[in-house]
Amino acid sequence: MKTLLNKHTLFLFTVPAFVLYTIFFISPMFNGLYYSLTDWDGFSKDYDFVGLSNFIEVMKDEQIRNSLTFTTRYTVLLVFFTVIISLFLALLLNSKIRLRTFFRSVYFFPAVLSLLTVGLIFNQIFYQVLPFMGKGLNIEFLSVNILASPTLAQFGILSVNIWQGVSIPTILFIAALQSVPAELIEAAKIDGATAVQRFRNVVIPYLIPVMNIIIIITLKNGLTLFDYVKAMTDGGPGRATESIGILIYNYAFEELKFSYGITVSIVLFFIMGGISIIQLKWSSKFEVK
Amino acid sequence: MMNLRSQVGNIATYFILAFGAILIFFPLYLTVIVAMKTPAESAQSFFALPSSFYLENFKEVINRVNFGTYVMNSVIITGISLILITYFVPMVSYSISRNSDKKYYKFLLIYFTLGIFIPFQVIMIPVAKMMTQFHLLNITGLIILYVTFSLIQGVFLFVGYLRTIPYELEEAAYMDGSTVWGTYNKIIFPLLRPMTATLLIMNALWIWNDFLLPLIMLNKSPKFWTLQLFQYNFKSQYSFDYNLAFASFLMSMVPIMIVYIFTQRHIIAGLTNGAVKS
Repeated sequence: MKTLLNKHTLFLFTVPAFVLYTIFFISPMFNGLYYSLTDWDGFSKDYDFVGLSNFIEVMKDEQIRNSLTFTTRYTVLLVFFTVIISLFLALLLNSKIRLRTFFRSVYFFPAVLSLLTVGLIFNQIFYQVLPFMGKGLNIEFLSVNILASPTLAQFGILSVNIWQGVSIPTILFIAALQSVPAELIEAAKIDGATAVQRFRNVVIPYLIPVMNIIIIITLKNGLTLFDYVKAMTDGGPGRATESIGILIYNYAFEELKFSYGITVSIVLFFIMGGISIIQLKWSSKFEVK
Repeated sequence: MMNLRSQVGNIATYFILAFGAILIFFPLYLTVIVAMKTPAESAQSFFALPSSFYLENFKEVINRVNFGTYVMNSVIITGISLILITYFVPMVSYSISRNSDKKYYKFLLIYFTLGIFIPFQVIMIPVAKMMTQFHLLNITGLIILYVTFSLIQGVFLFVGYLRTIPYELEEAAYMDGSTVWGTYNKIIFPLLRPMTATLLIMNALWIWNDFLLPLIMLNKSPKFWTLQLFQYNFKSQYSFDYNLAFASFLMSMVPIMIVYIFTQRHIIAGLTNGAVKS
C-alpha cells in the first residue's frame, strides 16, 4: 500500500489543481461558448438555440460599438502614457541620487492600494477639491466636476488609472535597466557614442522583453476596465464611460441579457487575442538576438 | 563644464521626483485630514490641517456598520486562499516539471497556461451562474475561485523556476530511500521559497484588493462583505457625508499601509522577480 501510494504521489499532486481548474475555469468557459449560441436570459427554464444570431446582433448594436470605441481609445492612451511615464520615472529613479530608495518606495506605494479605494478617493477629489481649486485659480475647465462632463470624464478616469498604474511598470523598468551590463555602456562611451545613441542602441534592446510584459499587462487592464468606472462614473454621464467590462456586467446582472453578455465577452476575448499576437510579432523584431 | 551640466541634471531629477512624490501624497494627505475633521471644519477649508485630533468620524463609521466583520472576512478569505495556494501550486508544478516527457503532464502544462489568454469576463457570467446552482455564493465559494484562478499564472511561474533546480539533490534523496512526498517536502519545497514568496505577494495583493469577484459572489449578503464591498456600499449610502466617506477610505487602507511600511522591500523584490521570470 505504502509503495503504491509512493509510486503515484506525483500523480496525486496534480489532482486538486486539475479538478479545481476543470470544474471552475474550463467548464464555465465551454458553458459560455454554448450559451452564446442561445437566447437564455439566465433564469428561465426554456431557451432556444439561435446559432450565431447573438454575434450578428452584437456587430450591429450601436451601444456595444460605442463601448468598444471608448474602451479601445482608452486602452491605447493608457498603454502609451503608462510606457512613456514609467520609463521616464525608471530612468530618474535609476540615476545616482541620494534618497533613491526612499523615492522608489514612494513611487511604488500606489500599487498596493485597491483600485476601488483609489477610484473613490479621486471621485471625491474631482467632485469637491478640484473645482474648488479651479475656481480659486480661475482655470475654467477645472472649476466644474470633470467626471460630470461627457467629453472629459474619460480623461478623469484615465489620469487616475495612470496615477496608480505606472507603479509596477516603473519598478520593472528599473530592474531591466539594472540588467544592462555596465561594460557595454562603458565600451560604447569609449567608442564615442553620445548619451542618446547609447540609450537607443545599447539600453533599449535590454528593455524590450520587460516592455512587452508591461504592454500586455496594461492592455489587459485597459480592455477589462471595471473598478475605476464603478467607483467614479458607473458608465456615465449618459453612456460616455461605459467600458466593455461594465457593459458585460450590466447585461448579466442588471438587464437579464445573459447570453448576449457572454457573446460580448467572447468578442472581447478575440480582440485581446488579436492585439496580443500583433504586439508579440511586432516586438520580436526588436528582441536581443 | 561637464560637472555643471550633471549638477543641473541632478537638481532637475530631484525636482521632478519631488513633484511626483507630492502628486502621490496629495490624495493621501487629503484622505487623512478630511477623515479627521468635523463637517463644519472641512466646509471652511479642505486643505488645512484639522484643528484637533478628531476621531468621531471613525467611531461613527464603526457604529453604523460591522466594520470588524468586514476586516475579518477579508483576512479569512485572503489567508485561507494563500494557504491553499502555497500547497496546490508548487505541488502540481513539481509533478509537471519532473515528468515533462509524459503525455498527461505535457497536456497539463498547456492546459493551465491556456488560461493566461482568457480574460476573466469570458467566464464571469457562467461561473456566477454555476456558483448559484452549487449554493456557493459565500466565502467558501470565493476562496475556491481564488485558488483556481491563481493556478494559471502560478503553474506557469513555478514550472519555469523548477527547470533551474538540478535533479541531483532529489536523486540522492531517492537513493537514500526517501519517499516522493518526503523528498518534495524536505528538499524541493524549501528550495522553492523565493518563488513561493513571489507567488504569495502577487496573490495577496490581488485577493485583498479585488472588487469584481466579491461583488458577483457576496454582495447580496452583507454578513459576507469584504473591505472592498463595504467601501463600495458605504459610498452609495453616505456619499454626501464626505467626512465619513474619507474616514471609511482611510480605515480600509490602514491594514495594507501598515503591511507595506514593514515589508516594502520584499513586496517590490517579489513582484519584480515574478515579472522578470515570466
